[in-house]
Amino acid sequence: MNNNRNSPRLFRLQRNKPKSVALLVAASLGNVLVTVALISGCAKKSASLTPLPSASYYGGSSQPVLEAAPRGAPELMARQRMSRQAVRPISAPAGAEELWVIARSSDLAQAKRDDAPGSGALLMRFAEKEVSLPLKHTDVRASVSGYVGSVEVVQQFHNPYSSKIEAVYVFPLPHNAAVNEFIMTIDERRIRGIIRERKEAEEIYQEAKRQGYVASLLTEERPNIFTQSVANIEPGREIDVTIKYFHTLDYADGWYEFVFPMVVGPRFNPPGMTHGIGAAARGSAGVSGQKTEVQYLKPGERSGHDISLRLEVDAGVAIEEFQCRTHEVSHESQASHQLTVALQPHDNIPNRDFVLRYRVAGERIKSSLLTHRDERGGYFTLMLYPPKELGKLARQPLEVVFVLDCSGSMSGRPIAQAKAAVERGLRLMRPEDSFQIINFSLSARQLGPAPLAATPENIQRALQYLSSLEGEGGTMMIEGIKAALDFPHDPNRLRFVCFLTDGYIGNEAEILGEIHQRLGPSRIFSFGIGSTVNRYLIDHMGKAGRGAVAYLGSRDEAARVMEDFFERISHPGLTDIAVDWGGMLVSEVFPRRIPDLFVGRPVILTGRFSGEGNSHVRVSGKVAGERVEFTVPADSSDGSATHRALPSVWARMKIADLADESTFAPNAELPEQIKRVALDFGVMSAFTAFVAVDSSRRTEGSEGTTVPVAVPVPEGVKYHTTVPEKSEN
Amino acid sequence: MRILLAILVALVFWRGHAQQASTNNTAARFHAVDIYVDSENHPLAAYQIEFAVTNGSARIVGVEGGEHPAFAEPPFYDPQAMQHERVILAAFSTEAADKLPAGKTRVATIHVQTSGAVKAEFTVKLHTAAGLDGKKFQAEAALEERKAP
Repeated sequence: MNNNRNSPRLFRLQRNKPKSVALLVAASLGNVLVTVALISGCAKKSASLTPLPSASYYGGSSQPVLEAAPRGAPELMARQRMSRQAVRPISAPAGAEELWVIARSSDLAQAKRDDAPGSGALLMRFAEKEVSLPLKHTDVRASVSGYVGSVEVVQQFHNPYSSKIEAVYVFPLPHNAAVNEFIMTIDERRIRGIIRERKEAEEIYQEAKRQGYVASLLTEERPNIFTQSVANIEPGREIDVTIKYFHTLDYADGWYEFVFPMVVGPRFNPPGMTHGIGAAARGSAGVSGQKTEVQYLKPGERSGHDISLRLEVDAGVAIEEFQCRTHEVSHESQASHQLTVALQPHDNIPNRDFVLRYRVAGERIKSSLLTHRDERGGYFTLMLYPPKELGKLARQPLEVVFVLDCSGSMSGRPIAQAKAAVERGLRLMRPEDSFQIINFSLSARQLGPAPLAATPENIQRALQYLSSLEGEGGTMMIEGIKAALDFPHDPNRLRFVCFLTDGYIGNEAEILGEIHQRLGPSRIFSFGIGSTVNRYLIDHMGKAGRGAVAYLGSRDEAARVMEDFFERISHPGLTDIAVDWGGMLVSEVFPRRIPDLFVGRPVILTGRFSGEGNSHVRVSGKVAGERVEFTVPADSSDGSATHRALPSVWARMKIADLADESTFAPNAELPEQIKRVALDFGVMSAFTAFVAVDSSRRTEGSEGTTVPVAVPVPEGVKYHTTVPEKSEN
Repeated sequence: MRILLAILVALVFWRGHAQQASTNNTAARFHAVDIYVDSENHPLAAYQIEFAVTNGSARIVGVEGGEHPAFAEPPFYDPQAMQHERVILAAFSTEAADKLPAGKTRVATIHVQTSGAVKAEFTVKLHTAAGLDGKKFQAEAALEERKAP
């Protein structure tokens, strides 16, 4: 194999046909013991490398060649090219490149596949920077009506190799996405996937794969991390998978925020953990030792995978301004309340979250109630916006604990952003306040043993300490949680714990469980730092900590984000909130405990109802000891198209609530409850999966080789401090 | 001794064959079942049918759209019925009457995985068929199981 390493040619994978058949007979006349072992190809399917002549593919000069492409494949590909004008061609590698294909036996790949999605059997190495992978393009079409988003994601898989493959792609979606549609497209035929219990779906998929049928499987590894598997993609063929979901948009400080995550960041998993989300270098399958593994392209490498995105917003009220700091976009507006943005074609590398913020006419922002009824009953969402009175009241003295993630993934731009934010926070403190700084990576350290008064001297000391911090090592966030929440508390001050982290860990449930146990009088405000944050963890830390969240992207202004936070906590929150639902008989409202309302941060409640759905809802709560009350009118403008999403959104909220409960009060019945909701409403969960099989045709040969889709390291994250190339264990 | 060895080898082959036959009977198999609606002379704009497994062990593993462009999109199904291996499919089209199918047309294909020795059997029942004006008309639903690939 190494003899070919310097040869400027492409190589293709060729399986040896099973040849040996051995029959062993052992007989015992006494007890008729018969042992028969038929070894027919299944014992060992080795692979060899055969050089391929260079040839063009998709117009490129020397892409991997389809020597064994089925008859008619070129015509088929040409037709597909014509029907997919939006798809950008893969940029071709230089002519003097080489491709190494190293395959394990498919049995080994199969055995590992059961435990490790992404345990690949194919490793490619180009001498230069281009690698071709089975995910060619992702097309995102989204629309927003009110504060409910509807998103369609098309993942275009193809097989650029000379033998059959299974593509495995670990990818992110918003953690509150209610995934309720899954369609596999083969040529012009579209097959709707079926949601089933996860184990059952996996069995169906594996059996279809084994028998040579084209099949696809979508599983959920975390609420915001999914695995897409597509089996038996023949050389030269393309298979699209379409996923649709609904979700509610975040709203803060006058701005709605639409987020589409594009890549999973490299996670750290505590020693001994095996069910986390592992990071591995491309071609180093299995080194993380985790159940789910993401392979990352090495620095300077680029795959052909690109992304297009188009978002149409109908805000219902005038859109005053919008901003997209993460990407370059084009935009148009058909009316004052409408906005359409699209990703510029040259900004198409999926290595950071897409974030679009838009501000609607300020005076029109108000709490609102949306309802929907179908044969299953009534559903509603209630957006509670803080009353204006809150902004007029002054705050109590504060005790702020800044907790910085100083792990390796924060190295570089993220830690610089976090430090800039904390510095601004320190300078905004008043003399009657107190503070502390805790930093953690593999262990936690802190500036001092007790809260420090916010005197100029102490602030100066803190700034010096802050400047000494750097990002390196693992992310033992649990140490930071313990240090921050066990910290001595001054009862005369309102205590806020500010976590600044990218959230790149695989043990989210453990972290959230600790917060539930240790929260006490603290409120947690979590700041997501970086270009593609683990928003599931950050949001749920804020939720479990009865606080709120903010995101500080690599291109955002750190000081402004911290100023917004201090503005928020500079006024008391609306506490002890109670809702009089009027003529609505409500049930199963999520979140079950209504969080405090802070200035600029609304709360969304989602539930079921019967009875009158068009009544006014009265909300009351306490502000600085005073009782206040306000009324929320029902939105009778309706638009059944918009509100049709509510049952799915509610189901996703209920699943999230049950999953949260399992982190602090594990209960053997919770998985069954989650599964029941997911199956009844046809939405994804950790215990259900979508599967689709094309039973009309069997592909030839045995099941293909598994090829993980390697992804770029998120923008701003350093590859060398986050991606292990050797086994962690 | 030779006779004994011959008997033993025959026994081994018989057991192997029997086991393989048994495995083939119980192994999972995949089938495509085409669903047709015959609307006679009426342009078909909407339909709702119920497909069910009546005998044997079968799991629905995919729902494909029909042959006519008006119904090429895979129809939606009721997730609760699906849990009982029944599928209630419904689709509609707002195309003009001349772009709607009339007569017998394949509106969907159900992809099914079966297992076990008992042959799975399927039924289809038409709940409703309607034209562009929303008025129901008489129609018939039928199914045809494709030969295994």
